[in-house]
Amino acid sequence: MAGVELGMPRMGAAADLAPQPVKVVLNWGRRYSLWVFNFGLACCAIEFIAASMARHDFIRLGVIPFAPGPRQADLMVVSGTVTDKMAPAVRRLYDQMPEPKYVISFGACSNTGGPYWDSYCVTKGVDTVIPVDVYVPGCPPRPESLLQGIIRLQEKIAQESLSTKVIRAKYAGHRTATAGEVTRGLVTPPAADTVTRAEP
Amino acid sequence: MTEPAAATDGVVIKRLEVDAADWVDAVTEARGAGFSFFDWLTAVDQTDLEESPGLDVVCHLLDPSTPKALRRIMIRTRVPDGESLASITGVFRGAAWHERETHEMFGLEFDGFDDGTGLGLRPLLLPDGFEGTPLRKSFVLAARASKPWPGGKEPGESEHTKPTGRRRVSAPGVPDPEWGPR
Repeated sequence: MAGVELGMPRMGAAADLAPQPVKVVLNWGRRYSLWVFNFGLACCAIEFIAASMARHDFIRLGVIPFAPGPRQADLMVVSGTVTDKMAPAVRRLYDQMPEPKYVISFGACSNTGGPYWDSYCVTKGVDTVIPVDVYVPGCPPRPESLLQGIIRLQEKIAQESLSTKVIRAKYAGHRTATAGEVTRGLVTPPAADTVTRAEP
Repeated sequence: MTEPAAATDGVVIKRLEVDAADWVDAVTEARGAGFSFFDWLTAVDQTDLEESPGLDVVCHLLDPSTPKALRRIMIRTRVPDGESLASITGVFRGAAWHERETHEMFGLEFDGFDDGTGLGLRPLLLPDGFEGTPLRKSFVLAARASKPWPGGKEPGESEHTKPTGRRRVSAPGVPDPEWGPR
């Protein structure tokens, strides 16, 4: 499929030339409106869901779990066991996210492979596939751990000074695909009379 | 053929051991006897046995006509290593996925495999380009030798715990000492 060339990521002239108080405001806006995209692969996803529910409620920290897909998300939480079969999909969805983007690796499996570290099919940490900002340890971590990880990430965002130069150095270096290349074409359904069985 | 019956949680599992040559006939017969729900099929690596080594292929069928007390049957056969087994996709079409999985995990060939696509036995679950048959006991978990790992891999190896006096793990898949420190 022909890729749509979207150009190099940039922050715009306002962010590049903005004085420090404006950058503080921009960072403040960025850290408290993290649209999150949950890459739930195993039991850790249940803890993520618990953290999003009323008791722990990470929306009060500005984390919004209603991103319709990776293209509208700022933060990806990889929660669960990443297998070698799934790793290309993780990479693909990460490439679809707009910059600036952040990744929280949630749980022992996505940090290092966890209890499956010697398995023949488990990726030894999601950071072998995508860059990770915050690691949350635990098997599975409690929802409070995720809240702590989110606060750590927000502290990190508050301290960063994003200019076009910085963001290119941070993301473009390992950007492996344009948004067009990671888009799949529409699949036309087969004609009804030719279908005998579903093909995996 | 031996037919011992065992009871677990009130449900009787009928067990049936057949020769590899009678495999399809036994499954067809069980289906005719009411066990018309195909549950799963897999293999067990018994190639390290002294007596008639090979792969045990196990198939689990259910009788759905008695919902409150399901009748179950496990049919098992042993295939010598390197030989192939007749496919039961002609009896249960749903067995195709299970035979593909057994093929890629154990390297067992199924004669007459047909899932309606004509593509034959091909990998189902393993990532593209994966080499080897990972569920065989001879498959070495190379990550144990190649992956640097902080701390102890087995109980008693960490500097924070006392040695347990437990025998070192020699489970299938753990690399031999000549693979290097592990």
